[in-house]
Amino acid sequence: MIYNLQIFGAYFAQFLKTRMSYRTDFFVSLVANILVGATGLLFVVFLMDGKNITELNGWSRAEVLFIYGYAMISMAIFSSVAINLYGFGNRYIIQGQFDRVLLRPLNSLAQVLFESFNLDSIGSLLVGLATMLYAARILGISIGMLDVGWLFVSSISGAVILISVFVVLSSVSFHFEDRIGIAPPFYNLISFGRYPITIFNRVIQFILSWVIPFAFVAFYPATHFFNRTGFELLCYLTPLVALVSVVVAWVFWQFGVSKYESTGN
Amino acid sequence: MALVEVQNLRKSFRTFKRSEGILGSFKDLFSRQYSTLNAVDGISFKVEEGELLGYLGPNGAGKSTSIKMLTGILKPTDGEITVMGYHPFRDRRAYTAHIGVVFGQRTQLWWDIAVLESLKLLAKIYRVSDSEFKSRLELLTETLGLKDLLHTPVRKLSLGQRIRCDLAGSLIYGPKILFLDEPTIGLDAVGKDAVRAFLRKINRDLKATIIMTTHDLKEIEELCQRILIIDKGRIIYDGSLERVRTLPGLKRRIYLDFAGSAPESKLNEIFGTRVAFERESERRLAGSYDPRELSTPELVKEVFANFDVADFTVSEPELEEVIMKIYREGAGAL
Repeated sequence: MIYNLQIFGAYFAQFLKTRMSYRTDFFVSLVANILVGATGLLFVVFLMDGKNITELNGWSRAEVLFIYGYAMISMAIFSSVAINLYGFGNRYIIQGQFDRVLLRPLNSLAQVLFESFNLDSIGSLLVGLATMLYAARILGISIGMLDVGWLFVSSISGAVILISVFVVLSSVSFHFEDRIGIAPPFYNLISFGRYPITIFNRVIQFILSWVIPFAFVAFYPATHFFNRTGFELLCYLTPLVALVSVVVAWVFWQFGVSKYESTGN
Repeated sequence: MALVEVQNLRKSFRTFKRSEGILGSFKDLFSRQYSTLNAVDGISFKVEEGELLGYLGPNGAGKSTSIKMLTGILKPTDGEITVMGYHPFRDRRAYTAHIGVVFGQRTQLWWDIAVLESLKLLAKIYRVSDSEFKSRLELLTETLGLKDLLHTPVRKLSLGQRIRCDLAGSLIYGPKILFLDEPTIGLDAVGKDAVRAFLRKINRDLKATIIMTTHDLKEIEELCQRILIIDKGRIIYDGSLERVRTLPGLKRRIYLDFAGSAPESKLNEIFGTRVAFERESERRLAGSYDPRELSTPELVKEVFANFDVADFTVSEPELEEVIMKIYREGAGAL
């Protein structure tokens, strides 16, 4: 474990070195990322700031914003490594880069995930955190040490759930040689996890909870902070759902690796 | 026990026939005709410690697929591989810590960082101690001539430089066995020479076991004591380089230098169809003959008895000719 931390720490250090050598590029994309995050947020703010819409299916504007900010945090952590899964089929399978991964005495999935990082996502992490704190003030939520701990655990869990889902989707590339893969439509599905789940119909609610558990990315864990009943069990199930997701993802991944065909030489 | 043991190894791929045209590819979306291709079709061999084995075969014969199974990248469909007691695919993580791999076509190093940084990162991954790293780096820098390359990012290296750095990367952690897949592909003569000299050195001095695929016959001639020829997924030859030269049907060449003008017509009269002579120069003739039909001593004796010969040499068939014949005729040539 310590060995793995050292190695992937070294990977990160190397990545930073190369990234820092293109400084302007780094700052430009950081700013761009903050803008993208802020635009998405403004959409929600304006949508619910009209005279008529002050609540969404029983959820107040501040609550919706709180969940939205919460989701941005998990997603920022997710997208800091997900950049490697994006285009996995093309880069690793079709171009055969996965050979190199398999030749190292390290976990193959960890190598893919930690090969490069998307540091710009720190921008949306900050926007998300600010949104959450702003909404918390309106709602009169006081945040203690324990709450901070929960925020930490649950947002990591949320990111792990997202990563696991996309690892499963990427594993499909081992079986069908295809440049794009099946993941892209699911990137859009992530946004379902930014809203209170009860605004969707029952089928979608079920899917978002137990099939593609995006509701555990922000909504369920965020209810910890609200004065509402009915979600207590699901809320604290979040770390467990993350754990199960990892196991499922690992099984899919391992099966995929055993079917890897490599490209001809 | 042998270092490498391969038993009835097989790898089959499922491929599908692509239909022609846009309509065809649309049809392929819904129904595909699959067929199974046995890229490697039941091969067995052993490699002892310290051997330098050349792995030959025409394109698409199954060389790369074999190497990929031997290095743990591909899971065998059937059969058994044991290398140093490991099963390459099953024990991948433990196994890859003990092997070095260089693919001529693709680098194993990090594209964007300097060579030295890559080597340091590898040392960390393979848990090489500082003192070991220092002494190996020194040795590799010297033998591979890396001194001026260490601070260059990999992406800025020429192909020849990159291969040398890749070799360094695969040896920095002291692997017991080295797998090379076309290590000199695309290199110029100087680059090939450098790599060849280096491989010979580590095989002789460090007793490194090397398994390499190549299309370069000069390389095989200079390096390999033993060759394995694979064709259509099966091993059609496994043995010494010397034995392959004695294949039936291969012609030998004799070069004759005469004191005066070369008596071509007279020679033709004596030997008839048994020797085909060609004139090389005014005083020099080359003749090719099948040693089974006419033995070399017999030929030489007869020439000396009839002519005034200044000098002669007999040459073995060129390896290229041998290999071409095997590639062309498959197992039938043997």
